[in-house]
Amino acid sequence: MSPIPLLRLAARSAWARRLTLGVTLVAIMLSTALLLCVERVRADARQSFTQSVSGVDLVVGARTGSVQLMLYAVFHAGAATNNVDWKSFEILSAHPAVEWALPLSLGDSHRGFAVLGTTPAYFERFSYGEHQSLKFRSGESFAKVFDAVVGSEVAAKLGYKVGDAITLSHGMGSANLLEHGDKPFQVVGILEVTGTPVDRTIHVGLEAITALHLDWVAGAPVKGLSIPQDFVSKFDLKPKEITAALIGLKRRSDVFRMQRFVNEFRGEPLLAVMPGVALDELWQTIGLVERTLFAVSVLVIIVGLAGLVATMLASLNERRRELAILRALGAGPGDIFIMLAAEGLLVTTLGAVLGAAMLAIVSTIFAPWLLEHLGVLLTPRLLSLSELYLFGGVIITGMLASLVPGWRAWRMSLADGLTPRT
Amino acid sequence: MKIVRAMVLSVLVITLPAIAAPAHQHGSAKIDISVEGNKFTIGLEMPLDSTIGSERPARTDKEKLAYASMMAALKNPAGLFTPTAAANCRVESFQVSDPFPGGKPKPDGHADIDAEYLLICANPAALKGFETTLFKQFKRLQKIDVQRATPSGQGKMTMTPGQASAAW
Repeated sequence: MSPIPLLRLAARSAWARRLTLGVTLVAIMLSTALLLCVERVRADARQSFTQSVSGVDLVVGARTGSVQLMLYAVFHAGAATNNVDWKSFEILSAHPAVEWALPLSLGDSHRGFAVLGTTPAYFERFSYGEHQSLKFRSGESFAKVFDAVVGSEVAAKLGYKVGDAITLSHGMGSANLLEHGDKPFQVVGILEVTGTPVDRTIHVGLEAITALHLDWVAGAPVKGLSIPQDFVSKFDLKPKEITAALIGLKRRSDVFRMQRFVNEFRGEPLLAVMPGVALDELWQTIGLVERTLFAVSVLVIIVGLAGLVATMLASLNERRRELAILRALGAGPGDIFIMLAAEGLLVTTLGAVLGAAMLAIVSTIFAPWLLEHLGVLLTPRLLSLSELYLFGGVIITGMLASLVPGWRAWRMSLADGLTPRT
Repeated sequence: MKIVRAMVLSVLVITLPAIAAPAHQHGSAKIDISVEGNKFTIGLEMPLDSTIGSERPARTDKEKLAYASMMAALKNPAGLFTPTAAANCRVESFQVSDPFPGGKPKPDGHADIDAEYLLICANPAALKGFETTLFKQFKRLQKIDVQRATPSGQGKMTMTPGQASAAW
């Protein structure tokens, strides 16, 4: 028999058993969607993780582990072991190889979100992803001492808008923090969503951090001494120390030389890390988790395809007569084999296509929500190259798996079907 | 994802010491590469132990021979590094440091051999990686940590005798 009528026959026969095959189809669809989803989240999470900062050549902090420095300077997680003297920062920013330097001062928080003290230049210089710069959704950069610019997630979770007043807490966490209640800030700007830690940060001027702690000694407010907000401008608000600094160089090739200069800095023990290098190191360590997730979803695919094989094998029993009649009408054993294999391939391909379509639709619908609430930036797309490989892998495995019922039917069709057993 | 983020961060904190590369580790080497304009710079730093198996000025004839052949290998950059062919790079200049200035051993007993190579590429946009024969030349070398600063960003790669190439 030529293949075309054979395939039509296979399709019609499958349609006659649409309920059982339909359930198998759903299983394959869901497992394909899961496999592709794991791959997509893995790739995109990696992307948004390694692209948390771009265009910064060096991150400088007190001497500690390179990953620790990245964690607190970029991800605002953990704490600095030590601070950097303001004088050191001034020397570094005046270095001939340095184009710009941004001071970062961390340590205070607001309802669980990190507060970052920096300069207005931060909003121009800091970039993420493929050199995307920060954009204001509303409002503008801080101009006065007690102005604050909040990230998109902070604004969404706490419902802030431009003009709202907020007070900061001393330290991180939520339990029993001392409040800077006497010096409220005014929200003057809200940033666009970036999918990076910027979304979860409240930005204030470096002077504000100094001003907050003017009447503090040894980590606590001095009793009986309170400097009113309106008077802080009479004080010298130049910071004495900062937590870390981001540095951009005039020439990329100077980065190794500058790194050595910072690491051998005479004034105090400092550490300079290349953010791209440190982020790669970070990601290498979580590679294990990534591989485990992937292995689990591969197992789910195998379960789905095993279900397909089981359904088809079980259906051979019901189809004894059908296949025997086909043989009696002149179909060779090879035709029966092709029919069965084609059915398996059809179900797998249809399941995989539906799975990919389902993922595309769901990820497009949920992408804005994921970015807003979980900070994961999913790029809407049909299939990436690596996903395409997986997709092809599912179909090839499904095809190979359906050779099993094909082979069995080929062996049994004639002898079995024409010997009625009652 | 909050939980995932917290998990990721805690895994990192636990595994931190494992990934901080020590400054001088026998059997390993460091390569810093930068690409800017048509300039491709390769900075190499290897503990002498990784190349000739000792870190003192050569005394015996065997040691002197090993040292001389190491120097000969390092002074032939075209034989050490093969950048992407399409980039059409050629060696412009190079510099190999003297591990023992004045012929004296280092006070801490350790010594590195450093070299810097400058290549000029006719088509730098096509430069996507390079291969090295360092592992073939120096059998004691087991690992090279590569840091890169290229137009596409920074990154870190590890080369081994089984994977003697880096791509970005």
